[in-house]
Amino acid sequence: MTDELRVAVERRGTTGAVLYTKGYINNVGGEEIANRAYELMEEGVRSLLLNLRETKIVNSIGISILIEIIEKMIDKGGRIGFCSLTPVIHKTFQIMGLANYASIYTDEETAQKEMGL
Amino acid sequence: MTATAERQMELTLPMVPDIEIAAARAAGNLARELGMPSESIDEMAHAIIEACINAREHSGSADQRIYVRIRGTSLGEGNSRIDIWITDRGRGFDISEARTRRQKLGAAHKRGWGLQIIEAHMDEVGISTRPDGTTIHMVKHGKRS
Repeated sequence: MTDELRVAVERRGTTGAVLYTKGYINNVGGEEIANRAYELMEEGVRSLLLNLRETKIVNSIGISILIEIIEKMIDKGGRIGFCSLTPVIHKTFQIMGLANYASIYTDEETAQKEMGL
Repeated sequence: MTATAERQMELTLPMVPDIEIAAARAAGNLARELGMPSESIDEMAHAIIEACINAREHSGSADQRIYVRIRGTSLGEGNSRIDIWITDRGRGFDISEARTRRQKLGAAHKRGWGLQIIEAHMDEVGISTRPDGTTIHMVKHGKRS
């Protein structure tokens, strides 16, 4: 019924990565992102950009998992950024306070410059 | 302003994972027919998704069904409105407790944001909740873009 979430990762140097999502970020999608993000953290990634260009729908359970990823990255001294959000996803992130703990960029090029990826 | 055209649909959905997408798509199709802007449709979709998830995750309903009623009204001069009612036959909930819940980074429990998201994305929200069920009535206004 839904667009099952697909995740792709591109490494940027030894401590950076961009994680691309495609589809619905619900509980299952959020866990998929978390698994990939935690693998990257274990491999030493400390600057992680999530490009949500091909995600049009999120729900609060999925976002709560994204918040857990942010917490874990902050604990490790790293940072997480998001880019290419739809206006409604951006608004939803702001409602849930996610924007207070992670940087949000309009596009990947801007994010890469700001995050040094 | 006088209503010039009205369309309604009713769905009875099983409480299974991702069923919220079916409700959101049905409302989205109706909204597109009325010429609502895409951003308004996206906002409405996210609110419907949260209302259905709340029903599925928290209602504890015995019949395991979500009852969705959608009414689209063309108001003339490019204006329209969508009314959506999401109903479950569960145990109800404490509205004031749900409204004041605010999870923060570092908190053990980060869920419970559904109502805040619904209220932020819709123009009007009314909740009727009792020990035998809950109905959330949401309204989105639109102007043909």
